[in-house]
Amino acid sequence: MIILVADDSRAMRLIVIRTLRQAGFAGHKVIEAENGKQAFDLCVKHNPDLILSDWNMPEMTGLDFLRALRASGKNTPFCFVTSEGSEEMREYAKAAGAVDLIAKPFTAEIFSDVLSTVVKV
Amino acid sequence: MSAIDEFEAAREDLEALLIEVLGAVAGEEALPVWDEGLPSGPIVWSRLAIHDEEDDSFTMVSVRTSSIVARVLASRMLLTPDPGPDDLLDAVGELGNIAGGNVKSLLRHSCRLSLPAAEVTEDAKPTETGVTVRAAVLGQVVELTVDVAGDVSGLYWPGGSPLTDALESRS
Repeated sequence: MIILVADDSRAMRLIVIRTLRQAGFAGHKVIEAENGKQAFDLCVKHNPDLILSDWNMPEMTGLDFLRALRASGKNTPFCFVTSEGSEEMREYAKAAGAVDLIAKPFTAEIFSDVLSTVVKV
Repeated sequence: MSAIDEFEAAREDLEALLIEVLGAVAGEEALPVWDEGLPSGPIVWSRLAIHDEEDDSFTMVSVRTSSIVARVLASRMLLTPDPGPDDLLDAVGELGNIAGGNVKSLLRHSCRLSLPAAEVTEDAKPTETGVTVRAAVLGQVVELTVDVAGDVSGLYWPGGSPLTDALESRS
């Protein structure tokens, strides 16, 4: 399985990747992007099986990335990992086609609970 | 109720927010402190803005800590024994981003959050008008300030445009 992690903070990308492993998603290939545009380009090239994306990023936001992805016909499971975890943001995320939104700070248990319903470990 | 009164009324929630965010990022228990400030010396400072389109107001959120804490945070977040200057800015910038997102969820639901900007400075005292809460981690103080005032220059919206564009379009 290929997992795409998009976040403009390299520190946060590494934390997300570590948390994925702690949540039982070890052994998968992980590719990284630092904005939505780069993430979209990597999707075209690598066709990942799961996308974990920040919302607020330079160049292209996570929401615009998700919209571009769906407009291109790709239905890759997409989960936001973002600092804004209000119900309103969650509704925006799901309306745009995300499976869920994980708010920062998070735990491996939250990753496991959310992602195990989306992909098989 | 003024915005500052609202922030003051939320002081305990802001303290709890800082302790939770700091504890999660540092991987250490963070504790509230009330009578300690930042040590002298370089300060690593992260700031971002929350814009309310209804009344065109800005809420500024900033996080300050010593370069010692910034170095430890960067080392733990990036799993490197010797983080560079950009790593310190990345770590404290992300700490500010998480704090800012949680402040928005707490106080400013239907608003827009900017990207964080971080820098090292010798002079980043909290504003006198804002509400500042403090927590200690690794024996060092971290400050979170929420204020209505502040300089939005150098801040960018997600996607890339500078916040100053919004200010220029007002005039």
